[in-house]
Amino acid sequence: MDSLHDNGVPGGSVTGSAPGAPPGLGARFKRDLRIGLKAGLQTFWELARVMIPAYGATLILERLGVIAWLARAARPLMTLLGLPGDAAVPLVVGYVLNIYAAVGSMQALDLSSRQITVLAIAILIGHNLLVEGAVLHKAGMNGFAFGALRVVAGLAAAAVANLLMGLLW
Amino acid sequence: MVDLLHTFVTGSFDLLLRVFLIVVPIMVALELFEGTRAFRVVVRAWARVVRHVGLDERSAAPTLIGFLFGLAYGGGVIVRDVRRHDLGRRQVFIMSVFLSMVHAIAEDSLVFIALGASIFWIVVYRIAWAAVVTLALTAVAGLLVRRLRGRG
Repeated sequence: MDSLHDNGVPGGSVTGSAPGAPPGLGARFKRDLRIGLKAGLQTFWELARVMIPAYGATLILERLGVIAWLARAARPLMTLLGLPGDAAVPLVVGYVLNIYAAVGSMQALDLSSRQITVLAIAILIGHNLLVEGAVLHKAGMNGFAFGALRVVAGLAAAAVANLLMGLLW
Repeated sequence: MVDLLHTFVTGSFDLLLRVFLIVVPIMVALELFEGTRAFRVVVRAWARVVRHVGLDERSAAPTLIGFLFGLAYGGGVIVRDVRRHDLGRRQVFIMSVFLSMVHAIAEDSLVFIALGASIFWIVVYRIAWAAVVTLALTAVAGLLVRRLRGRG
């Protein structure tokens, strides 16, 4: 791990102000640029270290047929959202892979615009759970718990939206 | 097996490149503008909004980055600011819940708007939902923490 002494750099925080004589504009720019680059590279490295293994795990899950299996298991849930059973496929694809993969598999389905919106809500709240879970883990949270939260809260949000749309239409 | 490895290598490169091209410029821009008046005005305005879900001013900048650009990038700034400002577990928890529900507001939403989803439901409704879930979970978590401490 890199040394963390950039903590002590004055003016680096929102509230910080330089002690003594303020440095020239050019010098300050150079200093901020250097600190920014360092913070950027450090953050990049930390994210890469958790995202790449998570991405590898995702590919393996897909290859093992876990997506197809989960999609079959989730079919009955889809009626609660006013969606056809096949809508479970883009949902699970989104959970394991990402939004773009989910949109790709949504295009294969014949959905009404209301169904597209309901499914979009569930996918927008829960997607890319392994890679984004790894980032939350890095921030000190439990990645699995947050994955479960996003699945449950996403499905609940979609179900409530579907109910409200039924009342309003 | 070989094609899986190939996918992994090219996919990883793609992912790393994307993260690099977004994270490094964000961090440099943050460092350059953090001290400016304009930045403080924006962050303060945003802080007044997110105050309602229990976030303080130090958490406003990472939350704004995550809300605009995505969880991974906001997460990166959270990691940085946890180290710098010692945000505390409660603030990190609130940010994580809120950003879990809504992030990358433009990019992610546009993908579905292109498919024909309603802007109102996937933007306005989702933000409202995020606020409700954040407040509810923070209340529950607070209760649990108090109970655990009370017993200890």
